[in-house]
Parts: sequence; C-alpha cells; structure tokens
Amino acid sequence: MLKRPVLNTVLAILIVTSLILSGCGGATSTPIVPGNTPQASQTPETEKKVATFIFTQDFDSLNPMYSNMWFSAVTQQLWNCWAWVFDNNNEPIPYLVTEMPSIQNGGISADGMTFTLHLKDGLKWSDNVPLTSEDFRFTWAMHTDPKNTVASAYPYDKMTSVETPDAQTVVIHFADPFAPWIIMWKGLVPAHILQPIYDAEGTLDNADWNMHPTVGCGPYNFAEWETGSFARFTTNDNFWGTKPKIDEIFIRFVPDDASQIAALTAGDGDLGTFIAYNDIPKLTTAGLNVVTQPSGYDEGLFFLDDTANKIGSPGLRDVAVRQAIAMAIDREAINRDLLLGKTKVPASYWDSLPFYNNPAQKNYTYNPVGANALLDQAGWIDSNNDGTRDKNGVELELTYGTTVREIRQDVQAVIKQQLAAVGIKIDIQTYANDLYFSQDGPAAQGQIDIMEWSDGPSGFPDPDIYYWLCSEIPTADYPAGGNWFYTCDPDLDALIQLQSTQVDPTARQATISQINQIFHDKVYWLGLWQDPDVWAIGPRLLNVKFSGVTPFFNITEWDLTGK
Amino acid sequence: MTIEATHIPVLTQDELETPPLSLGELTWRRFRRHKLAIFGAVVLVLLFFYSFGGALFVSEKYANFNDTAQHLLGPNLMHLFGTDTIGRDILARTIYGGQISLLIGLFAVIVETGLGIVVGALAGYYGGIVDNILMRITEAMLNIPEIFLLIVMAKFFGGKIPDISMLGRTYSGSVILIVLIIGGTSWMYLARIVRAEFLSLKENEFVLAARATGTSNFRIIFLHILPNSIAPIVVSATLGVANAILSEAYISFLGLGVQPPTATWGNMLDGANNYLDSAPWLWFFPALLILLTVLSINFLGDGLRDALDPRSRTV
Amino acid sequence: MTRYFIRRFLQGIPLLFIISIILFVMMMNMGDPIATMGGRSMVRPEDRARLTRQLGLDKPIYVQYIYWLIGNDWTKSDLDGDGIAETTGTRRGILRGDFGTSLVNRGVPVLQVIGERLPNTLILMLASEVVVVLGALLVGIYSALHQYSAFDHFITAALFVGYSMPIFFIALLSMYIFAVLFKRWGLPYLPTVGMFDPQVGKTTGQVLLHMILPVTSMSIVSFASYSRYIRSTMLEVMGQDYIRTAKSKGLPRPEIIFVHALKNASLPIVTVVGLDLPFLLGGAVVTERIFAWPGTGRLFLDHVSRGDLPVVMGILMLIAVAVVVFQILTDVVYAWLDPRIRYES
Repeated sequence: MLKRPVLNTVLAILIVTSLILSGCGGATSTPIVPGNTPQASQTPETEKKVATFIFTQDFDSLNPMYSNMWFSAVTQQLWNCWAWVFDNNNEPIPYLVTEMPSIQNGGISADGMTFTLHLKDGLKWSDNVPLTSEDFRFTWAMHTDPKNTVASAYPYDKMTSVETPDAQTVVIHFADPFAPWIIMWKGLVPAHILQPIYDAEGTLDNADWNMHPTVGCGPYNFAEWETGSFARFTTNDNFWGTKPKIDEIFIRFVPDDASQIAALTAGDGDLGTFIAYNDIPKLTTAGLNVVTQPSGYDEGLFFLDDTANKIGSPGLRDVAVRQAIAMAIDREAINRDLLLGKTKVPASYWDSLPFYNNPAQKNYTYNPVGANALLDQAGWIDSNNDGTRDKNGVELELTYGTTVREIRQDVQAVIKQQLAAVGIKIDIQTYANDLYFSQDGPAAQGQIDIMEWSDGPSGFPDPDIYYWLCSEIPTADYPAGGNWFYTCDPDLDALIQLQSTQVDPTARQATISQINQIFHDKVYWLGLWQDPDVWAIGPRLLNVKFSGVTPFFNITEWDLTGK
Repeated sequence: MTIEATHIPVLTQDELETPPLSLGELTWRRFRRHKLAIFGAVVLVLLFFYSFGGALFVSEKYANFNDTAQHLLGPNLMHLFGTDTIGRDILARTIYGGQISLLIGLFAVIVETGLGIVVGALAGYYGGIVDNILMRITEAMLNIPEIFLLIVMAKFFGGKIPDISMLGRTYSGSVILIVLIIGGTSWMYLARIVRAEFLSLKENEFVLAARATGTSNFRIIFLHILPNSIAPIVVSATLGVANAILSEAYISFLGLGVQPPTATWGNMLDGANNYLDSAPWLWFFPALLILLTVLSINFLGDGLRDALDPRSRTV
Repeated sequence: MTRYFIRRFLQGIPLLFIISIILFVMMMNMGDPIATMGGRSMVRPEDRARLTRQLGLDKPIYVQYIYWLIGNDWTKSDLDGDGIAETTGTRRGILRGDFGTSLVNRGVPVLQVIGERLPNTLILMLASEVVVVLGALLVGIYSALHQYSAFDHFITAALFVGYSMPIFFIALLSMYIFAVLFKRWGLPYLPTVGMFDPQVGKTTGQVLLHMILPVTSMSIVSFASYSRYIRSTMLEVMGQDYIRTAKSKGLPRPEIIFVHALKNASLPIVTVVGLDLPFLLGGAVVTERIFAWPGTGRLFLDHVSRGDLPVVMGILMLIAVAVVVFQILTDVVYAWLDPRIRYES
C-alpha cells in the first residue's frame, strides 16, 4: 500500500503543473533562453518605444491630494497637469496658464491677496472633456473639505475662495498677502469624474481614481499599476499639447540600492533615481550618464537652542559653542571623501536659490585651533580633566541623533571624532524614519541636541520657511508644532513673518538676506552638504533635461535611440 | 516511545571492578569520534581568542579611529584587512565587532534558554491551568513569524537606550536591545522541548521518591528533573548561538540592528552592501568570520546531539 | 477524535485574541504614520493636527483597538475639528470581516492591498518549498544510505556552509555573479530584478526565468536543514528491526527504501512541512526586497516602516489564522497517517 511516497510525488507534480497552468493565461510564450537580448521584439509590428524608469519606492497613491511622496509627485508631469512647471534652472514656465501672474500684468493684486489666472485655449482632459476653471475650484474645494483625509491642505487652506468668472479665468482670494503663491496648483483633479463620486460617497478617500487615474491631462495616460511591481503610462491621444516621442513609460519598482545598480548596469533600466555617490563610477563605466540636479535640499545640522532654558543641553544655548562646532567640523573633507567631491558645502539655507542668497553667505572654515580658542574664551574649560569641557558644573555633552542611512552614520562617526578633538563629547543616536519624525518622537520632544536631516525652503523654488517661528514651538495645547529647536528669537520671528507676506520679489529678497545673516551669525543651521537629486541616464535616452521641482518637465521631447 | 528489548548484560570481571562510565565520560567518548565536531570546537576557541585576545594588541580607540582621507583602501601593510568607508581599520573592527557579535550570540542564548527552561519546566511539571496558559502564550509567540517579531520589536524599542560602558568598553545600548529581542523571540522551541521532557520524566520513580521525602517542588524541578533533561537543552543552546548570530546579521541588513559606530559583524556586512564588487574586503572578512563561527557551532551542535542522544546510531 | 479537534479549534480563538492584542500594542508604539506623509519635507503642523484627528489617531490605544476589532459605525467622531462629534464612523471592524483601509495607500481596503501581492509570494514560496522537499528527499535518502561515504561528507559540509550563511548575502552574491558578471563576460545570464522583462511582457516563461535566482537563494538554507533532518530520520528508521526483517525476507532494495523506510520516516517531515507552510504567507522578506519581487514580505517591510497599522495587522492576523488552521490540519493528516496515534477523547 503505497500511501505516503506516492502522495508526496503526486502532490509535487500537481503543484508544479498548476503553477505552469496558472501562468498560462498569457501570450504564446516563446521559450526564453537566457542570453537573448530582451529588446528586439519577435513580431513584425512597428516597434513601440518603451522607456524603463527605475523607482526605489512604490507610490502610495497617485492622486495629488493623498500623496506627498516624491515618487508619486514626479509622475504628475506624465499624466496630470500643473498650472506652471519649472525648467532645469528652476524657473517657472507657464503650462496651463497663458502667462505667469505678476504685479505688472495684474495677475497679482497690489495687496498680494488676489491672484488672477488666465487659462490657455483648447485645454482638455484625456476623455476630451474641456479643462476649465471649474476644475481649479473643485481641486481647492476637495483639498479643504474635512471629509477628505488629504495629505496636505496647504496652500489651499490659506485661500478664502476660488472664483470662476468664466471658463478660462480663475480668481483666487487669500486672507493675508501670500508671497509663496508659486506653490499653488501642483496637480488638478477632474471635476467631471470625481464630483459624482463625492456626491455619492461623501468623500473621495475610497475612489478608485486615486489608485488608477485613468482620466488625466498630461502627455501620457495612466495604463496600469501593479502595486510593488510596476506602473505603465501610454501616450494620451487626446493630449492638448505636443505629442511625446516615446510611446510608453514603464516604471519598475526596485527597493534595494544594490539591486537598482545591478539592474542599471545590466541594461534593464533607462533611468535610475537617487543614486548613491559611491555607485557613480560603476555606472559611468557601464555607459550611463550621471547627472545631479539641485532641488533645494541640503543636508544640515539643526540645533536645540531652548530660549526658555528648560530643555536640552545648556551648552548648545551658548552661541560660542555653536560657532565652535561650525569651525571644528571639516565639512570640506566630508564632501571630498565621503561624497566624492560631487557636491559642495552649503553656506546658506538658500544656497540653491542664488536670487535670495544674495549677498552670498560664506562658510565657516575648518579651524579647530580657532574653535578651541573660542571655547576657552567663552569659559568652557576642562576643569576635571576627563577630556570634555565644562562650565559651571555642566559638561559639554551633546546628543546627536539622525535616521538610519549609511552616509549619515558615517558622518556621525566622523563628526564625533572631530568634536572630541575640541573637547565636546557626542552621544550618537539613530532612529527609524517614522519614529524620528513623529510628533511623539525624540526630535519633537526635544530629546536630541543636534538633529540632522535633509531639508530646504518648504516650497522650493519659493524661499518660504516657518520652522523657527515662536508660534511653532510645540506645547501641550499645540503638540504638532514644527519648531523642534524650541528657539524663539524675536528678530528672526518678525523677519520670517514679514517675508511670507511680501509679494514683491525685491523686498522679499532684502528680508531674506537679513534672515540669512542671522542664521550665519547665530549658527541656527549648519549645512553639511548640498543634497541634489542624482539621476542615472541610460545610453538609449536622448534630450533629457531635469528640473529640481518638476523633473519630467520636458518629457515630450525625450527620445530613445534605435538600439 | 518504544522500549527496545536489550539483552541481559553479563558482567565480566573487569566491569565488576571498574566503575561504570558517567554520562559526561560517555558523552565525551562519543563526541571524540565526531571529527567535524572537534574541528568546530577548535575553530570556535580560535575565534574567541581572535576577538577577545586580539583586543590586547589593538586598542578600542584605534578601532574607532576614522580618517576620511584613508577611506576604502584595499588590504595593505598598514591595514591588513583594508579600511572602510570612513577610513577605519577593518581588522581592528572585526576584532571588536567580533566581541559584540559573539557576546550577542552568547547572551541571547542565555536569555532564550532561561526563558525556555522556566516556561517549559513550569508548564510540564504543574500541568493543568498553568500548562494551558503558558502553552497558549508560547503558541501565540510561535504563530508570529520570527522576522516580523524582530522587525516590530526592534522598532518598538529603537533608539531609547543610551550608550553603556561595560567590560572596559563603551558601546551602543542597542546591543542589550538586540540580545533581548533575539532571546525573546526564540525561547518558544526550547520551551516546548523542555515541557515534553518534563511531562515524561515527572512520572519516574526518582521524582516520586523525592516527593515522598518532602523535597520542595523547586528543588525537584531544578535539581532532580532538569539535570536529566540536559541533553536537548545543551544541543538547543549550542545551535541557538548560531541562530542568534545569523539573526543579528539579518536585522542589521534591515537597518534595525546594533547601530553604528559600534561594530558587529552583521552591521559591517550591511555597510558593505553597495560595495560588493568595488570594495570586496568590506564584506569578505566579516562574512568569512560569520561563516566560520556559525559553521563551527553547527558542527559542534551536531556532534553534541549525536553524543548526548541515546538513540543515535553513531556509538 | 472529532471532539478533540473541535476543542482545538475553539482553543484557537482566544489564542488569536491574545496574538492580536500583543501585536496591536507593539504596533501602536512603533511608528507614526503621519510622520512620513510629508514626502521629502516635514509634515506641516496644521496638516499633522488635522490628519491625527481625521485618522482617529488621537484616541487612546484601547479605543483604537476596539475600533479595529468591532468597528466604529456605532459611534460618532469629530472629523472637521469643531469639537462636536457628529460624523458616524464607517468601519465595521475585523470581527465583521472589515480589515480596514490602508493609511499609506489611503482608502484602499487592506484585503485588496494584501490580495494583490499574495499570489506573487505564493508562487515563489510554493516553488521553493517543492524544490526544497524534493531535493532534500533525494539528497537525504542518498546520504543516509551511503552514510560516511565521501559523498555524504561532501554533501554534509556543503549543506552546512549553505546553512551558515546569511540569506541576504547568498541572494546578493548570486545576483551579482549570475546576472551582472555573467552578462559582462558574455555568458548566458539570468535577469536581475522583478517578475518579468517589460520589453517582453508578463509571460509564464518570463516569470519562471525571473524566479530562478530568488527560489535558489531561498532554498539553500531550508534545503540544508531539511536534508539533514531527513537523513537522520532515515538513519533511525533504517536501523529498526522491521527493516532488518524486510532485508532478510529478500525484498528488493527500492521497495525497502521507498515503501517501508520512507513511509515511516516521512511522518516527521509532514509535520515540519505542514507547520512551515503558513509562514509562506509572510514571504521571504529579505529575498523579495533584494530581487524586487512584489510579494507580501516586501509589503510588510514597506508598510511597517511607514507605520501603516491596518495593513500590518492584517498581514499578521492572516498568518496567525493560517498557522492555527494548518496546525489543526497537520494533526488531522498525522492521525490519518499513523494509526498508532489516538488523541484523547
């Protein structure tokens, strides 16, 4: 009686057969022999031009309302449409509007509270329905509706109303003068598709369009998205602008850095994102072109300087200590050795906005002798010979915490050693991303003296900032506050508030250069390296240009060579 | 459990006069024949000397000393194993990293064995409600895949523990965390084995005798029954060390292990991820050391299992 | 017997409750979903406050657990921040089959999120399990029959080495060698990542081709332990009296091995396989990450790192249920196979 072993083998055969059969719904599978170059299609039809992009993260949602993910936002130049896009110098180009609004042409009212946009003729969605000002009003209404759990309601929550005097004119009213107006209209949602859904369900949260936006207004149409695997965008035949040259964009999700490099060098991808600097030589030898594009982000140190003198190390509240830290870290060496000299040390928070970083700030130079002298002068001496300076019984011991990323951990070790050389003791902490940036996390609670992350002006290329506002200090009533440095500098506070209301660029520039100077003198922020987007372009792609804000702004011009 | 029919032993003159072999001696005899196990034991001793003895030649300060100008140098006379991404000497780091990896392996197993014995012994000996509750908890923990537990627990406690100074070294507090996590997610197997042993042993006469003479339950459990069930515990503990070291490498790969700059073989491997071909010395040495350690422990455990298990065929 | 199984089944229910509580408490304290909603920059304070309120994250842990368990359509919450709780909830709770919606993929039902990835993992894991079991059977039996031969020693050593290496290492190395280096040297090569090649499309041949590297990497570790296990069980069985009887009766060797010995040796293997199967759902977390295979293991990693409680709890609870069910199933099969086993009535 052969029960078991027969069962074993029969089961095994069944499983394997079912596997084969289950996959058999697909096309005639020409037996794929390893070694075939996967490009030449066997069928005699006209060759479709398909470009493969490699993203290291899966989108969470494609609806601009529900996602702030960079990987989701950059696709909007493919299938969605912004009022204006930004070119490779991060200058705005009108896209849906006829011209950029300004005070001169009346697009911006003198008091900076009313904006008028004129839409181009012939705009339409991919299902041939005209794109009108109603779509703008609908986008604003949906962003500010409490029944939609949108990722960010800004800047729509600052608008009091959006009017549509006619189909091609949009009038936007703000409660206060709004200087960062350039960040408006980063993506539209179609009123004719989503209004019925909103009326039926009371919310847009569960709409299928969020994950499968089949109706769009860009040069490409959303075709499909298999979560975790790939997404496809094909040409929009009803596009109101110039048709793109590439027929299909295939985005593949590869989460692991090493795997992404392997895929790129093996030719399995035409475009790579967020390349690490040490991988660049490998890619260039494999024939790829690596390009850096400033996007306003700089990696820098933020300091816990509690004006109320309650939280954090008293040492850090002393300006001399912060200046000493600035002089004791050899940032040039970090850029040269760890980042292979591909970036530079940012002297100002507005380093990638030369218009506002004017006059350009100068960096603190690496000067450990000077740092030592400064600390001695300020009264921080090592009275108990334990290697760490102290003053009034307080040891100069600081916690330095950041997230888990190899380059950050390397930098932490380097900085710890350099600061130890001037008598400052560092205690290193690392946290997972979503713990670090949590409202209940160590940074928000004031448990980390020196914080590090990559950031920039919140609405790049707009120079607006808000972290250092006194009103943003987290309290029991306002736990979501963004001033994790607990700093309340009245001069700084006044200037920050002022610049956010100045629609006149020249006036704003003057205010910001004052802020720039304060940042430098009081060392509220210390730049470590500029953090541009690093792209890897495969040999097949042509006419590729990037922008720091809308990377795929000229996607309609991209082309593929024959090979 | 089948009882094998044995022939009635006929005692020879020699056997009457020489004392019978104790369990230890018997085990040693069988163990000796297992060449791979001896090899494993020897290699392990060497590795311990490397990590702890090597510290006498290389100071910790030197191991942590970084100089970015010297980064990513291949093996040379100054740095026998090369330097890492910020110029630290890899040989020194493997020595100090080895200390942490081996200690994690050891202490995780201590935690794991302790928990496993306590839970298994109590469940097996007392039975009834105690057994029921303890086994439900064990099953609950078993039903969650270990890697998920590791990830979730690593994030739960992450970052909250400051540096600790112990045995003359300062290292990241996450070491204690990793020990607790690994120990806390692998005790269940041992608990089941110990429970099974106790269930069968507690019906034996020596237990009845002990109870009859009024020995306390505590003494019965730990002084009478436990020594008799030592075999599977020893084997499980030995193999547990290997598992702990591999688990440490695993969670380091996911970024949740011991945080740099404290080195362990696991997080050195993780740091070498992007340099597989451009700087092979970054991963080669820690990988080799992990391999040797785990391999020798596995050989050792295999040999112990054969030596201690009375039902094995290799005598 | 039936009563035993009914009792086991009922015992599984409080077990699932305990598991869900343990996991929920751990998950609650290990990540803030809102923290990562800002993309590359920080979440703005007004958005943070609003989202905390809208997603119900300002409620205490036990309230959130209750909502997860039995839903919140029997109570009202304050969605628009005016302080008045006037909106009825829409969740029905897991006990009524509503696993909730993902916080990261806003609005998408958890079961849909998991369901899209589950088949991919199952293909990979089942293939891997089949390869491992078949291979381990072959190697284990051969090894047992030729104990202490050169082959036995060689295989033992090789298996031990495979068993002792961290899996991510094997995966990265094999990808590097067979995909990148082979292609560079002009040899027939394997693909690097993903399930298929976009230029060719998602055909069976493509998927099978892309499965080779991940399945091999995953199998090496289990293969080693399974075959050792089979070898030792076979050795134990081959030493039994009834095998000696069969030999002395002059039965042909294959029949002795496969009919008599293997039948009895395979019992523990059934247990091991049966208990391993439900963990397939978790997928090989690390392998999927390296080979960019869109499965549930990667799903778990991605969503854990963004604090997506509903999806993570969904995956963990599904696995827990599967484990409980499979344990009972294994016991049934075990009892059916071995007539000596009788469970207490």
